[in-house]
Amino acid sequence: MLAMLVSIVLSVLLLFPVPGWAAEGEVFPDLDINDPVALQEGSRVLEEELKLAARAQTYLLIDLVSGVIQIKARGVDLHRLPIAAWTVTELPRLTGTFRLTARPPVVRRKIDPSATTEQEPISLSDMPTEYRLSFTPAMTMDVESAAEQGAMGWIHTTSRKAWNQLRIWRQHLGGVQSSSEAPTLNITLSSEQAQSLAWSTVDGMPVVIRRPLEP
Amino acid sequence: MKRVLLLIGSVLSFGLLVALIPYSSSQLQSSIASVPQPLAVDPVVLRSLQIQYKGLKKQLAQFAPHQHYILVDTARNHLYIKRSQEIVLDAIASTGSGVVLDKPGEGNTQWVFDTPRGEFTVQSKLTHPAWVKPDWAFIEEGLMVPKNPADRVEQGVLGDYALGFGKGYFIHGTLYTRLLGKNVTHGCIRLNDDDLKSVYQLARVGTPIMIF
Repeated sequence: MLAMLVSIVLSVLLLFPVPGWAAEGEVFPDLDINDPVALQEGSRVLEEELKLAARAQTYLLIDLVSGVIQIKARGVDLHRLPIAAWTVTELPRLTGTFRLTARPPVVRRKIDPSATTEQEPISLSDMPTEYRLSFTPAMTMDVESAAEQGAMGWIHTTSRKAWNQLRIWRQHLGGVQSSSEAPTLNITLSSEQAQSLAWSTVDGMPVVIRRPLEP
Repeated sequence: MKRVLLLIGSVLSFGLLVALIPYSSSQLQSSIASVPQPLAVDPVVLRSLQIQYKGLKKQLAQFAPHQHYILVDTARNHLYIKRSQEIVLDAIASTGSGVVLDKPGEGNTQWVFDTPRGEFTVQSKLTHPAWVKPDWAFIEEGLMVPKNPADRVEQGVLGDYALGFGKGYFIHGTLYTRLLGKNVTHGCIRLNDDDLKSVYQLARVGTPIMIF
């Protein structure tokens, strides 16, 4: 009887969404300098960027506040990929620098010296629109395309989102401070931007994430 | 009573499943347990945070190139010369094809014809460069690799200028201008004659090249 009551109470609680992370509508780094929390997060990201910009490399800044992925080097914004939508688990653990360890395989065409016709080169359109990027420390980023997808694709995406949502709610209800599960970032981009991101990532590429804060 | 409670539980569980589906980033969700919580806006603390933030921004800005730099978009095959945020030159380029070629007699090793991504610098500036053909240039055409180094040299195929950025990669000219805008090279960056001349004139040894 008691278990049944607890189940009902939990179900009632689950029906109400947890507080959302509203986008602040400001463009980093021009954040509200009168907001101490935004300043703290901005400074944290800048400290990470300083370490990355000191070396000859490109890196990604995933700005969840502005809704954009930036390809950067030396602190310079090289290219921007607008984010259509995102969800995340374990947001508080998305600090520090993550390094790319696994990215989608690219089917490369092989030159056949005995062939009379040239092999078609790889182009942006050969890149996947839905894929997973894995990082160390443990973090996964699922990239999906905002383009229309088939029924199976919709079921797959919706199931994954529902599963992530259940994990988020479980953490929230359980007051979990730090679980053993790796953070998962689910990013929706346009098809072209998803392909562009797959194209531009390289093994070991560092990633910094700017997190939205409690409004 | 039990049945009523079970019924209520079932209805609520169904509601939960329905509620799961329409989530979007307008309802951005996450655990907020250890995300920094808003501080009481103590003017002294705020001032200190502002000073720290501005200081970090300034430090980061110091890493940005103060002179011209070269930016290469390999996905769209464009080369830009920028100075700060200003685009000084926007040129259609050809970059790496991404195809592979087996290395004969070396097991499963391959040449991968990608333009390298990352940050580089101009290491050399050449006029009237000659192409010293590497092994793959012969192998991909089904030819024997020559033993005499002089047989590797080919004049007039790289244009009037070449800018080296390490490991045998160059920005150079091309005879195949109709292929500009396509991923067709073995990793080098090709430009037409006019754009190549501009790049040669604007860049110096040490100019950063950022490739993505």
